[in-house]
Amino acid sequence: METIYYLVLVPMVYGAFVVFGLGSVLRLAALWRRPPQPSTLRIHARRAPGWLGALADSFLLPTVRRHNPLLWVFLMIFHVCLLLLILGHLELFKRFEVLQVIEHQVFLGRGLVGLALTLALLFFLFRRFVSPNRDLSVPEDYYLLILLLLTVLFGSQMDWARSWYGYGELTVEDYRAYLMSLVLLKPQLPSAVTGSGHSFMLVLHVFFANLFLIFFPFSKIMHAFLALPVNKLRRG
Amino acid sequence: MDEKTRQDLLKLFEGKLNQAMRLYLETCSRCGVCTEACHVYASMPQAKYIAAYRAEIVRRIYKKYFKSQGRFWPSLGQSKDLTEMALEELYEAAYSCTGCRRCMVYCPFGIDTQMIMSIAKLLLVGAHAEPEILTMLADTSIAKGESLEIFREGFLAGIKRLEAEVVAKWQSQAGDTVIPVDKQGADLLYVALAGAHSIIPAAAVFNAARENWTLSFFEAVNFGAFVGDPTRTKLILERIVGEAKRLGVKEVCICECGTAFRVMKQLSGPQPFQVSSITQVHARYIREGRIKLDPSKNPEPLTYHDPCQIARNAGVIDEPRYILQHLASDYRELAPEPIYNWCCGGGGGLVALGEETLDFRMKSSRVKAEQVRKTGAKTLCTACENCHTQLSDLNQHYQLGLEVKFLSSMVAEALVP
Repeated sequence: METIYYLVLVPMVYGAFVVFGLGSVLRLAALWRRPPQPSTLRIHARRAPGWLGALADSFLLPTVRRHNPLLWVFLMIFHVCLLLLILGHLELFKRFEVLQVIEHQVFLGRGLVGLALTLALLFFLFRRFVSPNRDLSVPEDYYLLILLLLTVLFGSQMDWARSWYGYGELTVEDYRAYLMSLVLLKPQLPSAVTGSGHSFMLVLHVFFANLFLIFFPFSKIMHAFLALPVNKLRRG
Repeated sequence: MDEKTRQDLLKLFEGKLNQAMRLYLETCSRCGVCTEACHVYASMPQAKYIAAYRAEIVRRIYKKYFKSQGRFWPSLGQSKDLTEMALEELYEAAYSCTGCRRCMVYCPFGIDTQMIMSIAKLLLVGAHAEPEILTMLADTSIAKGESLEIFREGFLAGIKRLEAEVVAKWQSQAGDTVIPVDKQGADLLYVALAGAHSIIPAAAVFNAARENWTLSFFEAVNFGAFVGDPTRTKLILERIVGEAKRLGVKEVCICECGTAFRVMKQLSGPQPFQVSSITQVHARYIREGRIKLDPSKNPEPLTYHDPCQIARNAGVIDEPRYILQHLASDYRELAPEPIYNWCCGGGGGLVALGEETLDFRMKSSRVKAEQVRKTGAKTLCTACENCHTQLSDLNQHYQLGLEVKFLSSMVAEALVP
């Protein structure tokens, strides 16, 4: 079992980040090597300046807010929570004073962020079971949502245990020791990381997160990088 | 389908994969926000008419041949082989889409379904499975450009007959030459459609405005664009560009044809002349005081249909409204925001296919008919030949009891001497 823990928590993490980084860069480079569109693809009567409008379109999703307000609420919850969780994970590497402007325990939100994200993912998943969204969906859509749901559930479970039930075996310091050792390319697995009651949850969380990162460059999640340039085309 | 044909078609596919097309093909998250955007789906709610579904038919072939995902895990994105059956699906997707780009207004990424459908149309051309009539019409246009002398005498004789009609109706506005043709040093080249209705009222307004103009030998409509053949589109376009350069005009004015205007405006590249629609030119004449209109000629409630290729896709939105302020006393908007106007349902070559598509055009445009009916207007005017034909068909089919008119004809009719 220790070998499996090690494989998931060390080599697989490095592998996942290499695939994610290289894969994304190569995919984007392949896209930008193509010739540009010779004519405008603008939609008219949108008077906001091009880049500013495209930024608003990408981050505030005004078209979704207008045409599907319920989906917009869950999309905003999802993306905002995702951002907060990324910041939370940064704090698992080291303490960032700038992130502690509002003093808080790691993670921000005392477990509610993970809970909101879980609910949003369940909403996204269940709406795909209903026509006409079911007719539009392909297996990739379900796999990605299930993968994210598993990642978030196992990750949040650890946060909920610490925040709501005072679970103290696996502390922020233990995470920092493990994660900084990965960053410094001197991987170490503190005994709390592999030998506590929640180690199994941690390994599953990291395993699914690794899979997600590996999947990322080859999936529709590339919209994280492409949403802005594609929206710019519409803005002219 | 044999392997060589497939490889030839895939080369055509690859030729379409520029940056924008890649962005459109890579970004869709199949969120379904575009579901309600398409007039075909709104009129006939079937999944195959959702913009994202149409695009996915092309995208599945893209995944199969141009993404590693399709090679290593084809079931993940339901990648699809390019087969005869796939061509049939492409045909249905491409020729049930009018290319109005209303779905772009809904999509959180602004994915252009019309552009994705251009791949489907090109593959159909490559497989000789496109609607033959569109290719024949495109080839006729190209042939006219290649051997103009054969057509010249007949064209000039036809124009002489039209001049008499202009003089009879608008004698006071007629200049020395009623319909000048091939006039070197003219300021404006007017590119009309084949038909008196596209030439006579336009001539009356140009002459009333004392414009130094000339009529093009060529018709504006670009059947190459309808059939989705970039080579034919360019050849048809270049006839007009060549004529404009030869005559040294400062402005090329495109008649009421949405596709012709958008193709000329957006695909002709930087040229020594500017490209305008006739609606823009008429608005300019009114603004500059070169023509005056009598709004009392149109006392009945009137509404205006924004042709998708002229308004949403080329930005001519304020000009027709400015004209209508001077033309009608009871103007009513079709949609609260012109960008959300329903497509008439006749674009993308559907009207050009005539009776063959009539049943589909009528069923798929139910929402358009309802939109028009709600205004309570007695007159419906528009600035596109395709839209005019389709709206006239809808008027008859849904018994809307309207009079469907061209905006330019209404301008001519309301000219104050």
